[in-house]
Amino acid sequence: MGPRDFEVLEHPADIGFRAFGGTLPELFARSALAMLSIAADPAGALPREEYPLAVESGDRESLLVDWLNEVLYWFDGKRIAFRDFRVTQFRDTAIEAVGMGEPRDPLRHRARLIVKAVTYHQLKIERRGGLWVAEVYLDI
Amino acid sequence: MRIEAIDAWRHRIPRDEARGMLTDVMVYASEALMAQIRKDLSLEQAMNVATLPGIVGSSLAMPDIHQGYGFPIGGVAAMDCGEGVVSPGGVGFDINCGVRLVRTTLEEADVRPRLKELVEQIFRDVPCGVGGSGFVKIGARDLERILVEGARWMVKNGFGEQRDADFSEAGGALEGADPAAVSERARERGLPQLGTLGSGNHFLEVQYVQEVHDETAARAYGIRPGQVVVLIHSGSRGLGHQVCTDYVSVMNQSMAKYHISLPDRQLACGPIRSEQGERYLAAMCAAANFAWANRQAILHFLRGAFQRIFGASARLDLVYDVCHNIAKRERYEVEGRRREVLVHRKGATSAFPAGHREIPADYRAVGQPVFVPGSMGTASWVLAGAEGAMRETFGSVCHGAGRLLSRTAARKGRNAREERDKLEERGILVRSESRDGILEELPDAYKDVDEVIEVVHGAGLARKVARLRPMGVIKG
Repeated sequence: MGPRDFEVLEHPADIGFRAFGGTLPELFARSALAMLSIAADPAGALPREEYPLAVESGDRESLLVDWLNEVLYWFDGKRIAFRDFRVTQFRDTAIEAVGMGEPRDPLRHRARLIVKAVTYHQLKIERRGGLWVAEVYLDI
Repeated sequence: MRIEAIDAWRHRIPRDEARGMLTDVMVYASEALMAQIRKDLSLEQAMNVATLPGIVGSSLAMPDIHQGYGFPIGGVAAMDCGEGVVSPGGVGFDINCGVRLVRTTLEEADVRPRLKELVEQIFRDVPCGVGGSGFVKIGARDLERILVEGARWMVKNGFGEQRDADFSEAGGALEGADPAAVSERARERGLPQLGTLGSGNHFLEVQYVQEVHDETAARAYGIRPGQVVVLIHSGSRGLGHQVCTDYVSVMNQSMAKYHISLPDRQLACGPIRSEQGERYLAAMCAAANFAWANRQAILHFLRGAFQRIFGASARLDLVYDVCHNIAKRERYEVEGRRREVLVHRKGATSAFPAGHREIPADYRAVGQPVFVPGSMGTASWVLAGAEGAMRETFGSVCHGAGRLLSRTAARKGRNAREERDKLEERGILVRSESRDGILEELPDAYKDVDEVIEVVHGAGLARKVARLRPMGVIKG
């Protein structure tokens, strides 16, 4: 993840991020990594295993929220540390992807804080100057 | 935005201020707090809540109100049980996040010399669960019972005393929980996290009673000046977070069917009397029960830590346990009519006055205990619910000091070690799982808790009982 892949946004009680991508699939993958960077350090995870992820939703905005909640469930519920994502299928109401990572090991994967959930608060997906930009707030 | 000052403690935003508002917004705040509150989106969010179908009375904002997502934090909204809606976002992702106050048989002078040892022991015995799991090992069948029996199951299974459940709001378990409404994912997230504090603003604080303002109430609650007490702030962990996530999605998909349109998707809601509404409430009760079980497990491990340091004679008794993220069916007199309403408390605490049947018999003559944690360097308060809350706020008051600075702004230009040293000079030891945890929760990041308390006391919603000073803080 480079410095222009995402940036952190302020919120009085919580935290958000602004992610950038050349395409929507790239934007969705980087949004997932932005969220995981707030919770832990994805660079510490090794891409040992591949985990298939698939989400369907009503529109593009809710697809992003549902996709991030799916990734969060794998991180917090199935306890998988992801290093990266490869989006294999994408349309505005469905995404299929492969998450590369490994089971979380508390000694190697230092967690930063607990992300409770992904919200619709001031959610944005838009095109700015040739890039796709997403703004998402997380409940922490 | 048009805001009318009613008196020193009350401000109103009239319903004609924005399209779609069905009622006024009533803000409980002093002029000084109003100036802080106006800096973020919390009042706009309280106005959005005023558009929800079936809202009864005003959309209420407590003095600790700050910007949330959908609902403001520090917001209260009562919905008509017949025509109104229930909004999972109006309860929040941390269902039954709450606080319990524990009194000890120790004095400040007993604990001060061994404070470092005690804080280290608690830090080892009560995990935050940021990276790993808790020490309570239960199976799927136990979880099924916990979702129904809450703190009572924990007590029956060796994690505490019967008195602990009796002195919790709702007896430590809400009726109406249906484990079948809780997804497998929610169970998977929650199971290993039982008995963990969590991160963010969750904490466990060793404190002493600095001042008593109401001797009769303090005596009833078993607290006196100089006594060491412990405040525990935690919730339903991943189980509650997932329940809310699941049902925000359910509500978003079904709103069109019920012809509900909203100014903010995070307010997603459904009729209380609908399949979606009923199922959410059954799942919310189950998650609330999990939260009581969680705080009960934390109390159990806390007792062990105190006894390891101070011996078996150190007794810890629960004063009370209150939730501040919940929706409950309650009855109120509204405009001369007795009505059943679903009270959404999002970062707000119930504050029932003397005589209310939901208060344990020992406290009924003085009113329900209310705990208002401040930031880790300042103070926390014990209050007693008062009549004004029944008349004006559906039996509710504030739940904290309320954030002022974002987490990033709070961290800016500060060094964790220096800040830790400064707190230590003031007699406050902090043990935190993460470096940023300390910086983000520093006193400057919050409003002045004493000023917040002046408002609820002055407005007659609750009475001051005691002010508590922190000595040791354990956080994620």
